[in-house]
Amino acid sequence: MSAGSTRTGLSLLSPAFLVMAATLLAPVVALVVMSFWSQSGFDIDRSFTLKNYARLVEPGEGVVWYGIRFPFAYPVPAVLMIKSLAMSFVATICVIGLAWPMAYFLAFRVIRNKAMWIILLTIPFWTSYLLRVFSWKIVLGFNGAINSGLMWLGMIKEPLEFLLYNPVAVMITLAHSWIAFAVLPIYVSLEKIDRSLLEAASDLGDSRWTRFRRVTLPLSMPGTIAATLLVFIPTVGDYVTPTLVGGPGGMMIGSLVQQLFLRQDNAPLGAAVSIVMMLIIAALVGLFLWLIGYARMRKRIG
Amino acid sequence: MRRVDLLVLYAVFFVLFLYGPMLLMPLFSFNDANFATFPLKGFTTRHYTGMSANTSMMTALRNSLLVGTAVSVVATALALPAALALTRYRVPGGGAILSFMMLPLVVPSIVLAVGLLVVVLRILGIPLSLWTVAAGHLMLCIPFGMTVLMSRLEGFDRSLEEASRDLGAGGWGTFRRVTLPLAAPGVISSLLLCFIISFDEFVISFFLTGTDNTLPVFLFSQLRFPNRLPSTLALGSLILVGSAVLVILAEILRKRGVASDNPGDI
Amino acid sequence: MQRVKFIDRMAQGKLTRREMLQSAGAFGVGLAALPRKAKAAGGPLTCLEWGGYDEEGYIGSYVAKHGALPDFSIFSGEEEALAKVRAGFAADVMHPCNYSVSRFVNAGLAKEIDTARLSNWADVFPSLQTAEGVVLDGKVVMAPADWGNSSIAYRSDLIDPAFAADPSWSIFYDEAYSGKVSMLDNELVIQIGAMVGGMPYGEAYNLSGDALAAAAKDWGTKGVNVSRFLWTDASEVQQAMASGEIVAAYAWNDLVKNLKAEGIPVEYAVPKEGMFTWFCGLTLLNSGKADEALAYDFIDAWLSPETGKYLIEASGYGHANRKSFEIADPAEVAAMGISDPDALMASAVLFLTPTDEVQVEQNRVWGDIKALKM
Repeated sequence: MSAGSTRTGLSLLSPAFLVMAATLLAPVVALVVMSFWSQSGFDIDRSFTLKNYARLVEPGEGVVWYGIRFPFAYPVPAVLMIKSLAMSFVATICVIGLAWPMAYFLAFRVIRNKAMWIILLTIPFWTSYLLRVFSWKIVLGFNGAINSGLMWLGMIKEPLEFLLYNPVAVMITLAHSWIAFAVLPIYVSLEKIDRSLLEAASDLGDSRWTRFRRVTLPLSMPGTIAATLLVFIPTVGDYVTPTLVGGPGGMMIGSLVQQLFLRQDNAPLGAAVSIVMMLIIAALVGLFLWLIGYARMRKRIG
Repeated sequence: MRRVDLLVLYAVFFVLFLYGPMLLMPLFSFNDANFATFPLKGFTTRHYTGMSANTSMMTALRNSLLVGTAVSVVATALALPAALALTRYRVPGGGAILSFMMLPLVVPSIVLAVGLLVVVLRILGIPLSLWTVAAGHLMLCIPFGMTVLMSRLEGFDRSLEEASRDLGAGGWGTFRRVTLPLAAPGVISSLLLCFIISFDEFVISFFLTGTDNTLPVFLFSQLRFPNRLPSTLALGSLILVGSAVLVILAEILRKRGVASDNPGDI
Repeated sequence: MQRVKFIDRMAQGKLTRREMLQSAGAFGVGLAALPRKAKAAGGPLTCLEWGGYDEEGYIGSYVAKHGALPDFSIFSGEEEALAKVRAGFAADVMHPCNYSVSRFVNAGLAKEIDTARLSNWADVFPSLQTAEGVVLDGKVVMAPADWGNSSIAYRSDLIDPAFAADPSWSIFYDEAYSGKVSMLDNELVIQIGAMVGGMPYGEAYNLSGDALAAAAKDWGTKGVNVSRFLWTDASEVQQAMASGEIVAAYAWNDLVKNLKAEGIPVEYAVPKEGMFTWFCGLTLLNSGKADEALAYDFIDAWLSPETGKYLIEASGYGHANRKSFEIADPAEVAAMGISDPDALMASAVLFLTPTDEVQVEQNRVWGDIKALKM
């Protein structure tokens, strides 16, 4: 690699970087600075303080939530953080699990009209998010499609009530909302696998399974990792879906941030909660990449 | 051939999961009631008349289509060179730059929205319009576009590009004849993802728009009036069916004549 | 081909930093030069309005006089709208409600309304003219326009007849109705719970400190656990009521009217603890750039009886102008569950708004209950 190549790299990167810096820098700096301020009444005290962060970890009586003890004076952010992470974690696994075979199908089974297939997969997302959630409510609802169908078949007498307004409903709706964000990256990386590599593996006597494990799976990793991150990271902060289909217990860390900024007039605390949330997500992502040996992998296939 | 069958079966299940709930929208948009529960009542087209008479809804739809298209094209055009830079070239501090650019995925949207609003109004003094909305969406979409494109570009055999250069093609020629075709599926995916994000985004659109509404801003504001629900269902149905028909028609027209059997072709 | 050349050179790394900066600067200039609306002195009237109220029917006389609709910037929640104005968005008129107007006033965003400049002011219900929220610190800060009740709507075919005989807000805290009712997602759940426990509204609305914590523990938790979902939008609760998923809900008049029109047996209860009345109205913002006369014309149009008739018939909400009930279709008025608007207005429990500190505290306590629900 020459110095020229570095310069080319920088110049290719800079347009996108400049746009991001121009739009992102001010909000992010403001967020960080604000988290070190404090709210007193309706005014913001601009002297440096750590008390917003201290408040999040200050030990206290705490609560026991689903058998987990949160020994904090203000346990709400910690509880919501754990809840949101758990929800997002499970939803991500569901989404990747559902998306992978479909991406494989698209990459290896669909021969003609690929572009059309891919666009058709995203069309449900061209309708509005609210309408999609609404549709799921009709499916899962009391006199909804599933209940009406089962009652018509004579399998149940009374509508099932456990379908909607619980974590499972949130999971299904989240999976549906984010599936395109997983199928596309996985498909994109499966698609680039050189067919001759697969043939070579077969010629060398590998079974289908071995071939899949030794060639297809490793080569699809960049896309699978990208999909995992694209789904996991934003869903931690998502709160609209849990509010709409999660019932009274559907509050998430994102709702707390929203409330602190808009309703509770405590933007500094909201900023501190946001930053802690971002750091936790970053740490988890780092841990995930380290566990699967991302750096080594990049070097090997790069 | 049992495995093949299983995979096809799965694809059918997947499409059902994706489209099944969506198909209730057209169903209830013809139902003669102001809410959507079974059993169905009579057939009506009044919700469609209501929808087409609603000019603010139609303007909002047009605005969202405009912003979504522009944002997906610009975001992808910016993300592609950036993804190339980070996968093909040694960029000092590349990791840090990448992390910075991924921030919109983690920063709560309310923070980005209010922060940008203050910058736009107080510092730059630009009046709010669809342009400011588009700028906000651009920031949101670039990380998604870059992630998809990088996963496409990573691990490609660099020798193809080197060969092209050895054969005397310039940087641009290599890009156009070699890199772009290689990246094509990623480019299409990035365009689609960016369009979906922009088309569906509420918080940033709400804060950064003046008097022009995007579709999500309009729809959220309709929730206070339950009787308007069916005409939004009619709109959703129209988008769903209209775009599906358009895509299939376009594909039929395009494929007439060109029949490609290359599995890598897109 | 200038553009292609630029990318070409960029790709080869031949572009100097100076050139890059120049083009970036040009991009910035381009952004700044984008078409913008004329901002002459006395610009167009900008109204921050609920989506759905941005129609000619609500401001007929304004449109008749000025020939066009004003510029509408629509919102779906007052919190977001407040944040937007605070961040610097300039609007002339805003449409808050009794519980949110004080936040605009306290943030220094609103100005006093001169009621002498409103020709329809004299016909506004007297109890609304002086209601807290319309008047704050002796100044009129909101011209009341639309109002409605908050009470319990129930499915008369599905509910226990004992409830219908003696309706009470206690249904939302009764384990027997667990998963069959829906309360509003609001700290009102704590206040109304305290009222069920015997506290008068005049005390319950202002709960704070230890008393608030106790009420939250007793009633808030119950309210959260009993409700099938806590509703945030009217469509959601109407849908659930129509399907029979819930048998009773905190509801506004329009829900009863809408469902009755569809032939669903829904009744509007008058609970023994009381039925509430909320109201919304127009507030003048001091960030506006338009001529103030335009803003007054807009507000006056909203207060006219013709607007009231349209509001009653189209939305199922009440209107602040007494005369609008005289000219509205009596059947439509009856469908809202209102027989005598004068008497209702005189006897209704108007929602009261605690100080901002107490509001914030109640909101935090309410959020904490929901967060810790298992």
